[in-house]
Amino acid sequence: MNDSETAPHVCPEEGDVGIVEYQDFVSQEPFHFESGGIIPGLTLRYETYGHLNAAKDNAILICHALSGNHHCAGVRSIDERKSGWWNFAVGPGKPIDTSRYFVICSNSLGGCSGSSGPYSINPETGERYRLDFPKLTVHDMVKAQALLLDSLGVDRLHAVVGGSMGGMQTLQWAIDFPQRVGRYIAMACCARHNAQAIAFNDTGRQAIMRDPIWDNGNYDPDQPPGHGLAVARMMAHITYLSDAGMEAKFGRKRPTEDAGKEHFDVEFEVESYLRYQGQSFVGRFDANTYLYLTKALDRFDLHGPVSLDETLSTVTAPGLVVGFTSDWLYPPQGNREVAEALLRLGKDATYAELSMDFGHDSFLVRSPELYDLIRTFLDR
Amino acid sequence: MTHNKKRRQVDFQIIARWVDEGDRVLDLGCGRGVLLEYLKQKKSVYGVGVDISFEGILSCVKRGVPAYHGDVQALLATFGDNAFDRVIFSRSVELLDDPDAILAEGLRVGKRVTVGFVNHGFWLNRFNFLLKGQRTVNEVYPRQWYETLRSNPFSVSEFDAFCAARAINIENRVYLGGNWSGECKCLPNLFAGYAIYDLSI
Repeated sequence: MNDSETAPHVCPEEGDVGIVEYQDFVSQEPFHFESGGIIPGLTLRYETYGHLNAAKDNAILICHALSGNHHCAGVRSIDERKSGWWNFAVGPGKPIDTSRYFVICSNSLGGCSGSSGPYSINPETGERYRLDFPKLTVHDMVKAQALLLDSLGVDRLHAVVGGSMGGMQTLQWAIDFPQRVGRYIAMACCARHNAQAIAFNDTGRQAIMRDPIWDNGNYDPDQPPGHGLAVARMMAHITYLSDAGMEAKFGRKRPTEDAGKEHFDVEFEVESYLRYQGQSFVGRFDANTYLYLTKALDRFDLHGPVSLDETLSTVTAPGLVVGFTSDWLYPPQGNREVAEALLRLGKDATYAELSMDFGHDSFLVRSPELYDLIRTFLDR
Repeated sequence: MTHNKKRRQVDFQIIARWVDEGDRVLDLGCGRGVLLEYLKQKKSVYGVGVDISFEGILSCVKRGVPAYHGDVQALLATFGDNAFDRVIFSRSVELLDDPDAILAEGLRVGKRVTVGFVNHGFWLNRFNFLLKGQRTVNEVYPRQWYETLRSNPFSVSEFDAFCAARAINIENRVYLGGNWSGECKCLPNLFAGYAIYDLSI
């Protein structure tokens, strides 16, 4: 097109949020789930970055993906080498600029990083909830986050942002609390799982539940069903990548040759990578939690009970939906479907589709195009 | 003001003339969303832009114009009949893969359709080809054939014939002269540089 364009963004110096500490939001009120279940109290672990301004209108809620948690930026100690899961995007001068915005990220309800969930202690019994934890939905997760915001004195968010499960929560926010959402960015998401996504999730669940150590959820947390959980994670991890991305990263590369190797030992780099991913997941994630969260995602369905358009009709905030061409877990058409429905309804919605080789995880990768979009949408 | 910009604004004014206050407008091939931003300011429209260029979409986000990054035909199929008051093709019909089908879809989804196009039958284009055997390279067609998108240019009389063949009503039409500044009143297929049609079925 022949229009002259405004100058490109001048990005201020980027920095990190530094050392961060989590906090716990604790409510003694019973929490009621959509399924009818009740827990006697609620805990959400969260981190915040930046400062809430006097008008209390600069808060951004970030919603994490299935295996993520509240720690999305900075480091927890000076010795920690790995930063939070979205450190590329969150910090002073970054697309989600903590020098301007007050950023909140909480471990989801049902999560295992400090919030109430199957892994947390039921105060009434002093035992972990395990499978006694009520059936969980994305709607419940959002409702819990809203209570956290109440406690922080945030009535209305400047924005809600999330990818994957976080993208679904983001959409749920826009639907459930239109008066509290200033705008939203939902990335790599969908209105509901397709058969393939459900199939992958159930295979993961089966890997856990068929591990004898699982024992109907009653395993010792120090002796978790590690084989099942690791295999579930390995398979899920493949669905987060893409054919082209894996080919570029691993191809058929082999680690150093070892003549003494057994036939089925690690031979290719991709095997080594996935086994490591599986094993490290066992150390940081709870198997019962994995069952609960995947089930909540499988049941998430914005098409019900009437239609997608009917469900989205309550949305008032401007939205940005971002799909990724190489995402075969939540393919672009699932993202498009949401944007198309919003446009049919006459909402202020934008759909962008990015070509990156990183599959479903594209939103977690440093990407100038995505970051331009996020920054522009948040700041306009 | 550059000549291009002046030219664009003449185009915008005419397109805006046929848009009613508060209309729902779909701009297919919206580029950077400049036309929709203009219509939003002048006529308070609810406008949605569609484009295949990421830069275009990013610019729409900057302008606060809702936009859809993707294929025009696939998006049109998701809308019901008369979902928009107006569907606009501004210099985009020549770039479509299946103009016949997509214009029909535009007329289904929009109560009215605006088509703005460069008249390929303009005398200078004919003259160039006759004289040099080469297509015109000028401000309107700034690039050589090998540097451009696949394009399917057409003339005023070809578009008239298309409308007649498909029983499309021409509600209004404006022809601009070679420099696109004033209106062209006679022999448009020869003397119009640009044409803007207001269509219905």
